[in-house]
Amino acid sequence: MLRTEEMLLNVGPQHPSTHGVLRLVVKIDGEIIQDAEPVIGYLHRGTEKLAEDLNYTQIIPYTDRMDYLSAMTNNYAICHATETLMELEIPERAEFLRVIVMELNRVASHLVWLGTYLLDIGAMSPFLYCFRDREQILNLFNELCGARLTYNYMRVGGVKWDAPPGWLDKVKEFVKYMRNQMPEYHGLISGNEIFIQRTRGIGIVTQEMAISYGLSGANLRCTGVKWDLRKNQPYSIYDRFDFDVPVGKTGDLYDKYHCRMQEIIESLKIVEQAVEGFPEGGSTMAKVPRVLRVPEGEVYVGIESPRGELGCHIVSKGKDKPWRLKFRRPSFYNLQILPALLKGQNIANLVAILGGIDIVLGEVDC
Amino acid sequence: MDFFVILGPVVLLFIVLGFVTYAIFFERKVIGWIQNRVGPNQVGPWGLLQTVADVLKLLIKEDVIPQKADVSLFKLAPIIAYTPAFAVLAVIPFTESLKFADIAVGLLYYMAVSSITTIGILLGGWASNNKYALLGGMRSAAQMISYEIPLVLSVVGVAMSAGSLNLTEIVKAQQTGVWFVLPQFLGFIVFLIAAIAELSRTPFDLPEAESELVAGYHTEYSGFRFAFFMLAEYTYIFAMASLITLLFFGGWSAPFGLTFIPPLIWFIFKFLFFVFFLFWLRATMPRIRVDQLMEFAWKVLLPLAILNIFLTALFKEIPVLSQFY
Amino acid sequence: MFGLIKGMGITLKNLAKPKVTYKYPHEPLEMPDRYRGIQHFDPEKCIVCNQCARICPTDCITLTGKKHPDPNKKGKIIDTYDINFEICILCDLCTEVCPTEAIIMTSNFELATYSRDDLFKNMKWLHENDQNIRQDNISSKPKPGGNQA
Repeated sequence: MLRTEEMLLNVGPQHPSTHGVLRLVVKIDGEIIQDAEPVIGYLHRGTEKLAEDLNYTQIIPYTDRMDYLSAMTNNYAICHATETLMELEIPERAEFLRVIVMELNRVASHLVWLGTYLLDIGAMSPFLYCFRDREQILNLFNELCGARLTYNYMRVGGVKWDAPPGWLDKVKEFVKYMRNQMPEYHGLISGNEIFIQRTRGIGIVTQEMAISYGLSGANLRCTGVKWDLRKNQPYSIYDRFDFDVPVGKTGDLYDKYHCRMQEIIESLKIVEQAVEGFPEGGSTMAKVPRVLRVPEGEVYVGIESPRGELGCHIVSKGKDKPWRLKFRRPSFYNLQILPALLKGQNIANLVAILGGIDIVLGEVDC
Repeated sequence: MDFFVILGPVVLLFIVLGFVTYAIFFERKVIGWIQNRVGPNQVGPWGLLQTVADVLKLLIKEDVIPQKADVSLFKLAPIIAYTPAFAVLAVIPFTESLKFADIAVGLLYYMAVSSITTIGILLGGWASNNKYALLGGMRSAAQMISYEIPLVLSVVGVAMSAGSLNLTEIVKAQQTGVWFVLPQFLGFIVFLIAAIAELSRTPFDLPEAESELVAGYHTEYSGFRFAFFMLAEYTYIFAMASLITLLFFGGWSAPFGLTFIPPLIWFIFKFLFFVFFLFWLRATMPRIRVDQLMEFAWKVLLPLAILNIFLTALFKEIPVLSQFY
Repeated sequence: MFGLIKGMGITLKNLAKPKVTYKYPHEPLEMPDRYRGIQHFDPEKCIVCNQCARICPTDCITLTGKKHPDPNKKGKIIDTYDINFEICILCDLCTEVCPTEAIIMTSNFELATYSRDDLFKNMKWLHENDQNIRQDNISSKPKPGGNQA
């Protein structure tokens, strides 16, 4: 056997497929990874600490910048936590709007994942197709709340804007459009032999491993664990909608891909039902005092963000600002499994596995 | 005659440069259209001068050589990579009369000379003193060596049918019978796949796999040295598209007796089809993984290529079929 | 092999589909009414209540007031009003709390400059930014026809 020397390779923080500013210190032997260590913190802005000096309304735009691909779910996490602590009753209309935008945001987020993932694997066109379709969602959001990425849409007690005239029709149209697009994605990707070769049997996560690492979202469901907070701990009005939780079998990258693709379909289903059952009239804001004083206490709420369980823990001392705020960011927890998955893989799989976890660095570093 | 010998290659060089310029432009346009975009359209009418502007930018860029690089090899590598790319064009006959060197082993010459480029790429990767470049260079060497074997073996069938390694003779053999793409279909498929791998184009663009190795062997190159690597890559597209046209699609010969169109136009037409095919492929395919790439070459393509040789030899002896072989 | 061919068919089909890109900056992008762009400020309406400066999550608004020149009138009028667009995150909270709609959103968004200093906008500049002002400013109130689904 030839004696070979190991080499330390710095992947990132400036690297085309680390999805932002993640740095991986990889010890490689040839192209085989012996050891990998993610180095995070390049995008740390101290959101949690900053929040201690901000009142509850002011925190909301900061949460937009955590998981910037699904700012709506972040908005909801902080609002929901505050509302739970304040025991607020949220108007029906606001709840429906929240569900619609959150599910649309899930579709948008999964589309970005799909596009960038295929880009990691080397296909260019799906990326552009995904962004073409995502653009429609962003336009809808732009019309609804005046921003394409940092929505700042939800407020403690409701939502900032009611749907503009005709908006719900556009949402309906989009659902139809997106359903028609799905065969194109499947035709381009699902059956592609090279894609199957690149993903099937790669980066396998077992159920025990997934649970012990605290994975959530599609990363957990692809192993066959049917755990979706929208079903298992229903929040908002998710218990009123009929949808499935897609699960995988083997926990490899191909299952992850299929889980996410089906989640898009399920999300569209929810959006469709929410638009159907959209209440006539009514307010979109609960009666909240001008200055939000949250009663003393502690609360943890977990919601299902596109990446997994997004938790928000608030400790309030009865002031208008939280005494301590903590986000359980799914990307951060999901990333922890990376070194275990990378051992023994080659460089090409590094990119595929990292992409499959679907991290957003804004959320990892928070 | 002397005049042609001296000036001909110069003219060809400019034709190749023109081709490279517009191949890059056309590639970006085609991929743009496929992706519902418009592609480059800002510089010049319809963006026609985009590549010219890009090349100009590369030429006036600062010539950066990394401090820890092996300077002489670093400078030599692009030259070694480009020279064979242009040298192989010598044996390509564009029409019956328009050719530069009519040597008996033209096909063999092409295969032999084109593999020198690998050395340039490997040198560039090594001399850069960059880990990504080294990985890219290594991948490139491994890939070129593995794919050269099925590439060469797949054309053995053609050579057997034509009874010659001279490219003009091969085309002439197709003029009397059918184009070799039909009787040599297996060989054609193997050749096509191996050729794409030799060109390191998607889905075999591992040496410069952007998402994995940043830019592969030319990570550290910039300015005109980088331009030379690009030039080599696209010159090979020119050469390889010509070669496929010659070997399997009858070169300049006109199909269905459409002889009123000049042979050169036929050649260009067939040639452009392959260039388009490469771009189309690039817009569709994901990248294959490095170990799968090797397995594919040795376990699938090589046996198929050998099978093709046996089948050709066998069919040559069967009375009815032998007229096609 | 079949999947690859199918994929190639899909990309070929997309070749002929219409282009979806915008012609920005050759054609200006029309932003919807609610778009959160650069604020317009109306000194006439401002009552110097300081709410916008207080709600601003990034503290990018600084304002000072002075006494009303007419001694018979109570209250203050605005003296200086600056927004630092280096740190403004266009979150829209200032316009949301303004009781008199003195500060209001427009859908202009082009802020790129060559110097950071240019991003510091004063009252005059903000007042002159009076194009594309948002019409529909009463948020979170059900709109007629909002549910015309």
